[in-house]
Amino acid sequence: MATIELKNIRKSFGTVDVIKGVDIHIDDGEFAVFVGPSGCGKSTLLRLIAGLESINEGEFLLDGKRMNEIAPDKRGIAMVFQSYALYPHMTVAQNIGFSLDLKKVPKESIRREVDEVAEKLQLSELLGRRPAALSGGQRQRVAIGRAIIKKPSVILFDEPLSNLDASLRVQMRAELQRLHQELSATVIYVTHDQVEAMTMADKIVVLKDGEVAQSAAPIDLYKYPANTFVGTFIGSPRMNLLPATVSRSNGAQVRAHADNGWVLSLPDNLSAADGDRIQIGIRPEHLRLSEQADAIAAEVSVVERLGVETYLTLGQPSEPIIARLDGDISARVGEKVHLGVADSACHLFDDTGSAIQHS
Amino acid sequence: MSNAATQNDAPLKPTDMAAYGILTLISLYCAIPFVWVFVASLDAEPGQFLAWPDEWTLNNYIDIFTVHDGLLWIVNSLIIVGTATLVVVVLGGLGGYALSRSTGWWRRPFLYTIILIRVVPPTALIVPLYKVLLTANAAVGTVVRAIVPSDLVRPTMHIFGFIDGYLGIILVLAATQLPLALWIMKTFFDTIPRDYEEAAVMDGATLMQRIRRVLIPLALPGLGAAGLFAFIIAWGDFLMPLIFLSSSELQTLPLGLFRAYMRVNQLDYGFMTALAVIYTLPAVIAFGFARRFLVQTFSGGVKG
Repeated sequence: MATIELKNIRKSFGTVDVIKGVDIHIDDGEFAVFVGPSGCGKSTLLRLIAGLESINEGEFLLDGKRMNEIAPDKRGIAMVFQSYALYPHMTVAQNIGFSLDLKKVPKESIRREVDEVAEKLQLSELLGRRPAALSGGQRQRVAIGRAIIKKPSVILFDEPLSNLDASLRVQMRAELQRLHQELSATVIYVTHDQVEAMTMADKIVVLKDGEVAQSAAPIDLYKYPANTFVGTFIGSPRMNLLPATVSRSNGAQVRAHADNGWVLSLPDNLSAADGDRIQIGIRPEHLRLSEQADAIAAEVSVVERLGVETYLTLGQPSEPIIARLDGDISARVGEKVHLGVADSACHLFDDTGSAIQHS
Repeated sequence: MSNAATQNDAPLKPTDMAAYGILTLISLYCAIPFVWVFVASLDAEPGQFLAWPDEWTLNNYIDIFTVHDGLLWIVNSLIIVGTATLVVVVLGGLGGYALSRSTGWWRRPFLYTIILIRVVPPTALIVPLYKVLLTANAAVGTVVRAIVPSDLVRPTMHIFGFIDGYLGIILVLAATQLPLALWIMKTFFDTIPRDYEEAAVMDGATLMQRIRRVLIPLALPGLGAAGLFAFIIAWGDFLMPLIFLSSSELQTLPLGLFRAYMRVNQLDYGFMTALAVIYTLPAVIAFGFARRFLVQTFSGGVKG
C-alpha cells in the first residue's frame, strides 16, 4: 500500500524558488509521470519525495504518515537514477545486493534474493560481470534490480531512458510497464519526453516553473488541456494557437476573428462577450482539407511528406499553422489550400491562457 | 621497432628510420647513468669512469648494512616518507572531497592559495619555517620533560620533536605535498557523480559505510596517484631532512648518501653507487604499482 499525498510543497535553493506550492495525489499502485520542460522542478520534486533534499514547506504524506523528517532509506522508497549510478568496483550481483548487504542480511539469503531479482530481469547470466562490461539496456536493468530487491512500496525513476537509443527505449518502455504490473508498486517517473509520459502513465502531472500546470489521465490531458501550456506541451506537432477576437452580434452566430484573418464559428453558450480577446487552440491533426464554402484558405509554406501522413505548414512564417493530414498529399509550396476544422475540435483559452470551455 | 615494421608488412621509410634512430639515442642517453650506477655498484673496484668490472661482487651492498648504518637510514626514510604519504593521502582524500562537493565562495580562493605553497621555493621558507618549528619544539619539549622520566626525554623527542624528530619532518614533508594531492583529489572527485553517494543513501548506507564501501573504492585511483607523487617527491627530498634532522639515529637515505660523500677523503664509488641503487628502488617499485592508477586518474576518471 502506498498512497502519496503532497500538500503545498515548497522548496527553494538560496533565493531561487524551485517548487512553489505543489499539491499532488497519487493512488496506490498508480504509474504517475512528472513531465515538463527542463528546469520545471520535476527532478527536484522527485528528490524531495526520495528524501535526498529537505522540504522547506508543506507536507509529504505516504499512506497518511508524514515523511518530511524520515531518513531516505526508512521511507520504503527506491530510486533509479538517470546515470544508473552502478558502482563500477562491484559485480552486478554485488550491486543488486548492496542494500541487503548494508543491512547485514546473511550472505545466503542475499544470494537467493539477488538470483530471484536477476531472473525477473533476465540478468542471471550477467551476475558476475562488472557494470563496465554491460550494454546500456543491461545497466538499466541492473539499476532497476537494485531498486526492486528492497521490495519498495514506491519506486522513483529519474529520466531512466534518456541514455538509451531510440529502439531500446521503446523496448524498455514496455518492460517497465510489465514490471509495474508485476510489482504492483506505486511508480513515480520523471521525464521530459511526452511520448514516454503518454504511453506509460496512469496519471500525468505536467509541471511548469515549479507549479502543477495540470494533473490528469493522459488522454484527458490531450482532450481537455487546462491551459495553453499543457495544450502545446502534450501532442506533436504542437497545438496551433490563434489569438482572436470574439464577435457576438444580436441573433447572429458567435464568431472568432483570428488575427491571421481566419474566421471560426464558436458555440453559442460561450461565456465570452463581444470584443473579448481569446486564444483558439487547434491540434494539427484536427485540421483537414475541405471543399465546403466556409473553408479557410491558406497558403502552403512548407510541405513534409512522410508517406503515412503529411505535415503542411501554412500562413506567415512568423505565425505558422501546422496541419497534420492523413495519407500522402502532394501540395506545392505557394499553393492555396482550403481547410476545415470541426467546432468541437477547437480548444478555447482566455487571454491569460486558461481554458474557457471545451466544446 | 622491427615488430611494428613486420606487423604492418611495410618497409621502413627513411624518415621512420631517422625517428627510430633518434629515439634509440635518447633512450640510451637516459639509460646510461642508471646502467653505469648499477654496473659500478657490482664492481669490486669501481673507478671514476664507466668500465666493465674485472671482478663482480655484492660486497658494496653488504657493506651498506654491515660497515655503515644502511638499515637505519632505510628504516628512517620509510617511516618518515611512508607516514608523510599516509597523512597526505588521508587529508588529500578528505580535503579533496570537501573541495569538490562544497559550493562555498571560499573554494576557489583556497585552491589558488594552496598552490602558492608550491610556487614559493622551499629554500625561501626555511628560515621562517625553522623559527616556527623551533617554537613548537620548545613547547613540546616542556610538555615531554614534565611527563617523561629524564633519561627518556631524548628518545621521546626523537619521535615527537618538531626539530630533530620524526613528527616535525613528517609534518613538513606532508605539508609540502598536500597542495598537489588536494588538487589531484579535488579534480578526481569532480569526475565522480554524486549519484553514487545518493544511491548509497537510498540503500541505507551510513556515512562510514558510504566512505568505506563507495567513496574509497571509487577514489582509489586518485588516492594512488596522489600518494605516489607525495611518496616519490618526499622520498627524493634532501633539503628538509638536512635542515631539520641532525641526530645520527634519525638520518635518512639521502642524508646517508650525502654524508658518505662528505666524510671520507677518498670517494668510495662502490658504496655510493650501491646506496644509490637502493635509494632508487622504492620509487621505481612504487611507480610500477601505481602506473595503472596514474593512467586512470589523468585520462578521464571513473568509468562504468
